Amino acid sequence: MSVALANYIALSAVIFMIGAAGVVLRRNPLVMLMAIELMWNAANLAFVAYARASMNNAGHIFAFLVITVAAAEAAIGLAIVVIVFRRAEFVDVDEVSVLKG
Amino acid sequence: MGIEGQYPLLFLIWLAPFAGAIVIWALGPKLKSWSGPIGCAAIGVSFVATLASWADAVRSGPAGATTVVGAHQTMVTWIKGFALGLLWDPLTLVWTLIITGVGFLIHFYSMGYMHGDRGYPRFFAYMNFFVFAMLTLVLADNFVVLLVGWGLVGLASFFLIGFWFERPSAVAAATKAFVMNVVGDVGILFAIFILVAVVGSVSFADAFAGVQAHAYNGQLLFIACAALFVGCAAKSAQVPLHSWLPDAMEGPTPVSALIHAATMVTAGVYLIARCWPMWQGSADARELVGVIGGLTALLGAILGIGQWDIKRILAYSTMSQIGYMIMGVGVGAYDGGVLHFFTHAFFKAQLFLTAGIVIHALHNEQDVRRMGGLRAREPFAFWSMLVATLSICGFPPLAGFFSKDAVVYETLVKGHPVLYAIGVLTAGITAYYMFRMVFITFFGTYRGEIDPSSLGIRHPELAGTSAGLLKHPHDEAAPHEEHAPAWLMTAPVAVLFVGTIFAGFLDLGGTNSFWYGLLQPVFGATIAPVEGAAPFSELASSALVFIVVLAGIGLAYLRYGSTAALRDSVARLRNESIRMFPLLTNAFYFDAAIDALFVRPSRAFGTFFGVVVDPLVIDGAVREARVSALWLGHLFRSFQTGLVRAYALTIVFGAAAFIVYYAVVGAH
Amino acid sequence: MILFWFLALAVVASAVFVVTAKRPVYSVVGLLANFAALAIMYLTLSAEFLAVIQIIVYSGAILMLFLFVIALLSSGVRPFSVGPDRLPRVLVPLSLFGIVALGGLLFVIALNPSAAGTSNASGAPLGPPGQANVFGSVADFGKVLFTTYLLPFEATAFILMIAVIGVIALAGDVDPIPPKARRRK
Repeated sequence: MSVALANYIALSAVIFMIGAAGVVLRRNPLVMLMAIELMWNAANLAFVAYARASMNNAGHIFAFLVITVAAAEAAIGLAIVVIVFRRAEFVDVDEVSVLKG
Repeated sequence: MGIEGQYPLLFLIWLAPFAGAIVIWALGPKLKSWSGPIGCAAIGVSFVATLASWADAVRSGPAGATTVVGAHQTMVTWIKGFALGLLWDPLTLVWTLIITGVGFLIHFYSMGYMHGDRGYPRFFAYMNFFVFAMLTLVLADNFVVLLVGWGLVGLASFFLIGFWFERPSAVAAATKAFVMNVVGDVGILFAIFILVAVVGSVSFADAFAGVQAHAYNGQLLFIACAALFVGCAAKSAQVPLHSWLPDAMEGPTPVSALIHAATMVTAGVYLIARCWPMWQGSADARELVGVIGGLTALLGAILGIGQWDIKRILAYSTMSQIGYMIMGVGVGAYDGGVLHFFTHAFFKAQLFLTAGIVIHALHNEQDVRRMGGLRAREPFAFWSMLVATLSICGFPPLAGFFSKDAVVYETLVKGHPVLYAIGVLTAGITAYYMFRMVFITFFGTYRGEIDPSSLGIRHPELAGTSAGLLKHPHDEAAPHEEHAPAWLMTAPVAVLFVGTIFAGFLDLGGTNSFWYGLLQPVFGATIAPVEGAAPFSELASSALVFIVVLAGIGLAYLRYGSTAALRDSVARLRNESIRMFPLLTNAFYFDAAIDALFVRPSRAFGTFFGVVVDPLVIDGAVREARVSALWLGHLFRSFQTGLVRAYALTIVFGAAAFIVYYAVVGAH
Repeated sequence: MILFWFLALAVVASAVFVVTAKRPVYSVVGLLANFAALAIMYLTLSAEFLAVIQIIVYSGAILMLFLFVIALLSSGVRPFSVGPDRLPRVLVPLSLFGIVALGGLLFVIALNPSAAGTSNASGAPLGPPGQANVFGSVADFGKVLFTTYLLPFEATAFILMIAVIGVIALAGDVDPIPPKARRRK
């Protein structure tokens, strides 16, 4: 292995941080969802890197499962965005605060 | 105790009244007037089964085990080591005979007395239930089932005393009886605790074996006996728990007869007779019971002097006679006490049932001042009452003579001269107040038409006279022309004549007598006659008692029965009513004392809780819980911003916290 | 080595672009580049199956979904106008803390790279991809997936089914509250 594991993990953390920042900072729900996808991928990268480091298939399997769940999450998240938009015609998550206590 | 085996007849004795009660209870409205005969039949079956089981009760065990007598059947094992069963020995036999036999007569009588009452089926259901409860009590072979029967008897008495529940006074009397009985139940419960702690069992046999083995340390046996006696005192109306008994006269007259003669009040006598080995082991307990019994006998008799209600006179006489029995079993004269129970059952049932006939004939008039001259009008009642009164006074050779003399003389034999004196004195007072009642009721002229106030009756509606009974439910339901045939009521009384007159002959002949032979296997040597223990013979004692009784009768004759007394009876009665000692009219202030000592403090206690503790502490705690829940709700509400990104940031924060934790602590 | 740094640069740059792009469509394009770079990186890590999946499922399916939604929402109605992306003031310290914590994670990893562990757990040797009994090969992956990890696999199938049903229920034609009634409120 020519590249140190720490590099991969650091890269993964950076992507995760960027994704988290996107979720927190952006108000467009679509961009937020994409940022979440970024975070998923950061996690996947860590899984794959660790799997490679420990020569264990389990990390691959987990990454595969993560992709599946991410797909499901994206589908549902987008559906929610669609109906919220259809109802109220805005795409700013801060305006969707019906659950405010 | 008892020869182990299967005795199906015992279950018949025990459960037939219960079945009757259930049937009448369930089908009462359908059965209507048939419920009376069904109720009678249930008791009759029980009585016949009792007679059929006689041989089982008196059969002795194998040679060598002389104390084993009668029959015993194990029913179920409750907890490991706590077997419950039925015991059938001569003592139980005596009680069962009275409960079912006299109980049957009272049921029969009730068919006439309660005829046309709205609650006719209900009445028989309660009566059957009462008999069942009493049978549970006497058939038990252990303290737990006995306590169950004990409590059921209290419950049944509550039902029956409060039978006419439209009357507030009946409800109050029923409640009073129930509460006082529960005091006794608690006493027995504590006795059971002690027994379980000491011998690890609740059965009679183990408890008594413990006495033989000296398992009770120090005063424990005395405390157990005293706790049991609290139960006896409550159930048998002993001082100071007696005041429910006179009030219990609010029930229908057959109920009074059943409670007083056949069941309930004699339960205390039964318990002491049943637990005689425990009392035999503790002289202090015997002393306590004897003294309380004597005191009750005397007090009841004195209070009987001042009563005007015919049923209350009889109630106090019962209290007094139970005092005799308790005194008898207390000093160790178990056979005498039980014999007095046996004879008392007959003559007291007869007295009550006869009083019922009189009350019935006078349309629920109970005040003796408004009676008088009934000898010609009700000859049967007169003769019945006279014979029963002579019997209760101990007039030879009637039944009461034998039993009362046995008790009184035994106190002397066992070395209690003071109790002996009380017994003799009480016999005289008994004769006086009983004949006072007879003279006022049956001699002279009828005073029912005279204005109550000229007889000294101040509050007719309170004194239980007819003016206050206009709304008597019994009256409403039963117009007089619908009276049942008279023989329904006179026939049982006629049967009771036999017992009232001849029951005492069972004890004739000392150690050869039938009675001694019956009970000797139960009580063993404790009832064997002791020669030379008393300063004079039994015959002399009987003569002394007889003289005192005659003096009492004579005094009663002079004050109420003589020609001069009868001539101006109205004025004399008025005089006596007005000048009655307050001590007597208030029954020695026992009710007031109980009120001041227990009722008021507990009521104050309850008020304290109702006014202070409940609103401030309990409600306050609830209020505080509500306020703090509200406050917490406000606090957490502020977290719910409804902003998706804020939630996301919270998650990030959590994740970051984890990371920081592992970075600092390390993931090892 | 050079490939890694090149890919890492591409990944980070595209990620930043995704988050900062003005219009969602640009974000999608950035994400596409990001995913492609990641797929190549997976290949270098001997995860050939994941690399393919990354391209097909993520780039092919999920990003297409995003594109469709963007097209659906911006057609006919007012154009997307995203205001300034400001945080509620309270959350600023929190986000600062989060970023510091993530930085801390990087620091810790950089400090002791061996903490991740490099033990060789599976006996399969490294080799040219595509053949059985070589680490990361599709054959091995499939074998493990359908034997050891069959239950999680079935579970994800179930999750996907629920997601499909949920989406139909959410975005289906049945709308209990018409938009007009809602707006009047």
